[in-house]
Amino acid sequence: MSRDLDALIALIYRQLKRWAVSRSRIISIIIQPLLWIIFLGLGFGTVFSAQNIELSSTINNSTITKYIDPSIIRSILSKYFTAIFGGVDYITFLITGMAAMTAFIGSFISGISVIWDKQFGFLKETLVAPASRKTIILGRIIGDSIINTVQSLIIILLALLITHQINPLGIPIALLYIFMMSLGFTGLGVTISLKFSSMEGFQMIVNLLTMPLMFMSGVFYPINTMPDWMKVIAIMNPLTYCVYGTRYWLAGVKASLGFMNPVTSLIILMLFTAIFATIAMFSFEKTTIED
Amino acid sequence: MPMDEIVIVENLVKKFKDVTAVDGISFTIKKGEIFALLGPNGAGKTTTIHIIATLLRPTSGRVFVGKYDVTKDPNKVREKIGIVFQDPSLDNQLTAYDNMYIHGKLYGLRGRELHEKIMKLLEFVDLKEYAYKQVRYFSGGMRRRLEIARSLLHEPELLILDEPTIGLDPQSRAKIWDYIHMLKKEHDMTILLTTHYMDEAEELANRIAIMDHGKIIALGTVEQLKAMLGKDVIYLTLDGNAKEFCEKLIFAKDCNIIGNNRIELLVDNAPRYLPEIFRIALTNGIGIREVSYRRPTLNEVFLHLTGRELRESLEETPSIIQKLPLRWRRSR
Repeated sequence: MSRDLDALIALIYRQLKRWAVSRSRIISIIIQPLLWIIFLGLGFGTVFSAQNIELSSTINNSTITKYIDPSIIRSILSKYFTAIFGGVDYITFLITGMAAMTAFIGSFISGISVIWDKQFGFLKETLVAPASRKTIILGRIIGDSIINTVQSLIIILLALLITHQINPLGIPIALLYIFMMSLGFTGLGVTISLKFSSMEGFQMIVNLLTMPLMFMSGVFYPINTMPDWMKVIAIMNPLTYCVYGTRYWLAGVKASLGFMNPVTSLIILMLFTAIFATIAMFSFEKTTIED
Repeated sequence: MPMDEIVIVENLVKKFKDVTAVDGISFTIKKGEIFALLGPNGAGKTTTIHIIATLLRPTSGRVFVGKYDVTKDPNKVREKIGIVFQDPSLDNQLTAYDNMYIHGKLYGLRGRELHEKIMKLLEFVDLKEYAYKQVRYFSGGMRRRLEIARSLLHEPELLILDEPTIGLDPQSRAKIWDYIHMLKKEHDMTILLTTHYMDEAEELANRIAIMDHGKIIALGTVEQLKAMLGKDVIYLTLDGNAKEFCEKLIFAKDCNIIGNNRIELLVDNAPRYLPEIFRIALTNGIGIREVSYRRPTLNEVFLHLTGRELRESLEETPSIIQKLPLRWRRSR
């Protein structure tokens, strides 16, 4: 038992150490959400802001402006936009979603590192070790999830510079949601990667999965204004609950569907994680170098 | 089961879809011996080793390491073996020390003991000064040495080396050989190695199993294997019909035609038979253009045993005719 714990720690140590020495990986993981934040956030941020609407050209019928003060129209529009995004401006809405998405994308990167290890042999080293394979793969999943959570934290800290609508006290709780989600998706990524020997095959599957999951999670737009069929997918998407939880604890955004609240979201994330981490553990148990 | 046998392989078969990689082999490895699987690429050596190391499941047959069955008690087997794979299995991003450290942790070592063992082994393979360098800056030879050190960390009862010197320069190769000799001499280590270098098997192994097409075609000590060819091999280049000449040389144990009018004669005592050969050539009007003889090495043994396959490769690649002898059994 103590040896299994040692193996678990060894693998966590290995994943963290590898991450710490590969600066390019850290940067590339953080650059992507930053680009989304800058281009989508600033781009749409001004669209969804009442201050920038040219009222005179929109309402050229002077009878309306005669009776209603344009500043009232502005204030109504402003309230409307804040309501849509659950009480915050668009950039805050996006950034809080991006915090979750950073860890989500990172989760699949660890699947790539499994394939990498397959090709460069380190996987064999873990396969011939007498330590329990379940703990070996669990150590790996936990290690990568810690990394993903730290990367999300970096995004959140950057967000503090961009928007003042984030509550710093909510950060630790938000990170718990992110860590849970990352464990689950890393488990899924690892399970898939054990079945693939080529980077290309894995990448294809991952792209097919990540894009829809990302758009159907409410990262970019609220889930409660989605068309009904999209809502169905969003409810089945584990990422939705992480985005919801993160946003709730960071910015108090309550945009949700039916039964969603901070507690049910966390429970659902935990269930999801338990299922996929277990699947990953059992599929690694059965792994030979034939696949 | 006798205790002095550390590996027992019984009728082992491994099939990959429709390819039979290992085709019913049996052998045992005794404690304290160096046992080599010798054969060309694709002979099934690595597959055999992967089954012994619990990385592949056999299609049929049984394999024991110590007293444990590799399919029933893989974890017990894994504790007993240390393995150096043919392809590197190090983490290039980490330092030599970290690679050793993680390995030690996976095998239940810890603390001071682990640290001391790591430093001792890094010293053994002359890598102590590179302990905290990332492995990606290491040369091929250094990597192989590090892998050997790593495989010894948990003091395995059986060390498995899959092509330990493939792709290395002569100096690195000699160094690896030195380590293997030292392990045998100072620790009485049992070693199973695969190689396709005849000289390596000859230099290192107590016993050799020659593999071809998934089968063991010969097994024994170097001396026993060489004895298959007798004491000497005579090579002759002739003017005239080689096949007919072969039939005249009744004193030879075997006579093979290799290439254009070249023959290979297996005899017990080459110096004594050489005058006889000249006499027969003279009476039959056959000219001898060139003659040489040498003691058989494993190289000759191997060609002797695998002639069939070599003939096939000859037809495909005529440019190597000079190097690879085409052989016929002498018809008596």
